[in-house]
Amino acid sequence: MARKIAVTLGPMYFDKKGDAVAYLNAMLNKYDVGDRVSAADAIVLEAALARHPEAKEKIGTGVKDFSVRSAEFGTKCFWVNRTDGTTVKFSHKAI
Amino acid sequence: MSLEDLQAWLLAEGVRDDLTKIVRLTVRSELDNLAGEAHETGADGIDWQRLIFAGSILARSEMRTDQEAALRIAVAAITLTDDRGVRDAGAVLLGKLSNFRAVSLAVNRALVAGDLDSRLGIALRLEAQRREMDRSILVETTGKWMQVNDFQQRFWTNASLARWLSASAPTASGKTFLVLQWLVDQLGAAEAAVAIYLAPTRALVSEIETNLQNLLSDAKGIEVSSLPLRSKYDAARTGGSRLVLVLTQERMHLLANVLGDAFLVDLLIVDEAHKIGDDGRGVILQDAVERASRTNPMMKLVFISPATQNPEELLADAPEGIETVAVNSDAPTVLQNLLLARQVPGKPRRWTLETRQAEATIPIGVLELANTPASFIKRLAFIAAAAGERGGTLVYANGAADSEDIADLISQLQPKVDPKLTDPELTALAELARKGVHPNFRLAPLVERGVAFHFGNMPSLLRLEIERLFRSGKIRFLVCTSTLVEGVNLSCRTIVVRGPRRGKGHPMEPHDFWNLAGRAGRWGAEFQGNIICIDPNDPVAWPKGVPLRSRYPIKRESDAVLDLGDALLDYLAKRGERTPSDLEGSEEFEQVGAYLLTSYMRLGSISQADLAKRHTSAFIARLDDVLHGLASQLDIDADLAARHPGVSPVGLQRLLDTFRSYKGEPENLLPAEVASDDSYDRFVTIMRRINVSLFPAFEPESRIKLYALIVFQWLRGQSLAEIIRRNIAWHIEVNRPYKLPALIRDTMALVEQIARFRAPKYLSAYMDVLHLHLRSIGREDLIDHGLDIGTQLEFGVSSRTLISLMELGLSRMSAVALYEKIARDDLGQEECREWVVERADQLGGMEIPAAIIRELRERLLVIDDGGPAEATE
Repeated sequence: MARKIAVTLGPMYFDKKGDAVAYLNAMLNKYDVGDRVSAADAIVLEAALARHPEAKEKIGTGVKDFSVRSAEFGTKCFWVNRTDGTTVKFSHKAI
Repeated sequence: MSLEDLQAWLLAEGVRDDLTKIVRLTVRSELDNLAGEAHETGADGIDWQRLIFAGSILARSEMRTDQEAALRIAVAAITLTDDRGVRDAGAVLLGKLSNFRAVSLAVNRALVAGDLDSRLGIALRLEAQRREMDRSILVETTGKWMQVNDFQQRFWTNASLARWLSASAPTASGKTFLVLQWLVDQLGAAEAAVAIYLAPTRALVSEIETNLQNLLSDAKGIEVSSLPLRSKYDAARTGGSRLVLVLTQERMHLLANVLGDAFLVDLLIVDEAHKIGDDGRGVILQDAVERASRTNPMMKLVFISPATQNPEELLADAPEGIETVAVNSDAPTVLQNLLLARQVPGKPRRWTLETRQAEATIPIGVLELANTPASFIKRLAFIAAAAGERGGTLVYANGAADSEDIADLISQLQPKVDPKLTDPELTALAELARKGVHPNFRLAPLVERGVAFHFGNMPSLLRLEIERLFRSGKIRFLVCTSTLVEGVNLSCRTIVVRGPRRGKGHPMEPHDFWNLAGRAGRWGAEFQGNIICIDPNDPVAWPKGVPLRSRYPIKRESDAVLDLGDALLDYLAKRGERTPSDLEGSEEFEQVGAYLLTSYMRLGSISQADLAKRHTSAFIARLDDVLHGLASQLDIDADLAARHPGVSPVGLQRLLDTFRSYKGEPENLLPAEVASDDSYDRFVTIMRRINVSLFPAFEPESRIKLYALIVFQWLRGQSLAEIIRRNIAWHIEVNRPYKLPALIRDTMALVEQIARFRAPKYLSAYMDVLHLHLRSIGREDLIDHGLDIGTQLEFGVSSRTLISLMELGLSRMSAVALYEKIARDDLGQEECREWVVERADQLGGMEIPAAIIRELRERLLVIDDGGPAEATE
């Protein structure tokens, strides 16, 4: 049986990664496409992004804020809005 | 025998045979490719003196059939004989019919020598001079006398006397020309500072705007605009240039919303006023007229409609004490030959033609086609190409796709022209089609051969150019759709139709058919017009046969819906609990229901509304009951509801409830700036919210993303060509098959119907309710006081520079083409003008289509005062 690894995302603590992903799922579903993510949620998301395998490339010049936009096949996902005006999507499941 | 009896006898017996003969001969002279007739007798044997005498008796009749016969005799006398005396007599007869334009035409064509009066005897000369004086009006601003016909004179005289006037006359009576002249005169004489010309379609708006600009080219101190913006309005109200705004009813509401309490109109002209009966938009028009009249009860109001049965109906709601008058005319100005074309059994290329005159049909001859018309659209194309070979030929197609196919067929029958010899204006139009729409847009190669198609969703600059070149004769064949019936003032020499439909496959009503047919005959440019109806006995093409001549019955959409009685009450009663998607009849009832509820909210009872007098008091009481039930659920007030005609206050309330229960950040309820990456997705969400709460305007759900994308691209100021290019790229990327002509048409339709019609209507209501909510939660800081979303969407502009270019009078197509070359997005009007003036010499090298450069020169490089900057001898 795989060992549980606790995850901390900013002020949030989770017993295992699955819980963190579920939390982020719920967060994503709270938003409609086109929404800007609130400052409070952005702190959690920024911490999640830091755990992303491609964190460095995704963060680029730095994170300004996050949005929720449409993704393939009618789904939606989080997008990083960088300080240089560029934007890139990231999968919160890959943390 | 009374005069009436004599006139009736003349037609039935007295000159019947000669009349039949001249009908045959005059109609034959109009058509090409007729087979020769073995027993062709020409005009020999006609007793002209007797016939013209009969004509002068018939000319005194008020009956249309008598007047038509008199006109036929006059035209025949002028065109069929070589005898100068007979021709002169024909011209005198035209004078008796007050048809001075036709006299001028005869003189211009050298059919009648100039200075006719000098050849008349004293008595006749005096009579002619008296008539010319009687039929002249004084244009105050120019001090010039203008010769007019009976209808025009009655319009001019009454327009100065009555405050509300409703004028109705057939197409080609010189209505629009005269009304515009009168409007300019009113503004010139300072009778009005702000006038609004309501035209119910964007196509007609562009046309009227262009006509007015041409008419006012020399006049100082009068501005024309079709943008519902306040700057020019404020200038006019504070003593600056007087202003004519040419607007659709929706744009007038946008303007009234922008101006708020300051909205005041001195003079309102409502063109195509019978459209007050149109489904869906008729009530919006009625509301616009009432809104303007409410804010200024002393406003001068003129309704204009084509041949209608009851123009006085439009005056029924005039405020008390306001003098009203209806000016109605049914007199013909050009001969209209209704021709029935039937295939000769066993000879598919031969078609017999006969003309229907009053109650008789007269055989005209046999039309010979060069090819076998195997399909219905080939029949239209080949008959048009043969009978209307000399040009000025209009073909009516049931839909945009057919119009392209028919035009293509006709073009194949035209002789090939060396590209170097193609007329430069046609080349410029082809270039505009290639650069402005797509390099392979079907229109381009067709216009190079003098053939074009024309439908409502085309960009206005393109459509106006097509119309202009058709008028000038360079485009010889034009295949059009119902946009033309919707009120573009375009006449032709010959119309060819087969089973005309309007809208989604409904056979045309007789009055619609006759509104179309009325365009045959260019008054002052031709003596006759022809309407060729193909397969008149085919029950599928013509379920009720070729309609007899008929005039529009004017009936307000609101009255027609109220007449449905219980069905309306039932809908309204359920509307409080259910959404329109769950209710039957929302298309029929939603708009009028919104109008009634808003009126109830304003007045407290429908019995106080003008329309109450047209319905039973028992029904109005029941209506009041239902409306009371709805109104008691609303926090939305009457003012907010009145700002959004056609949008139900119940829907506005539901939207407000949605905002109130929204748990997220209020910023996310607003549209994102179009430059932002969130913009497209935000529109998707807003459209969903509108569908659920306000009205299912962007259904089905599967198309929301497409709608949002079009709105997003349009608002970013992308050109139609670019939107089409991206659409093609998307199809290729996802490996989805497409057909270019359909893709182009669909994209045009999305821009016109979604981005420019639905989105402004529902998004501006959305924003208004949102602002109400934001104020109530103390978040006024989120409210942007810039240009409202409705206006941004209608014109597809979100940058200051683009708006300025359009305020200067450029079409969006030209403005966008120019904006692609301008770096800054915050230029005002003067800065834009300077930008163009500084580069006047370089415009040719900027790869901007020549037709756009022409518009730039006309609109932006006109030099004020002192003549051209570099005056040359």
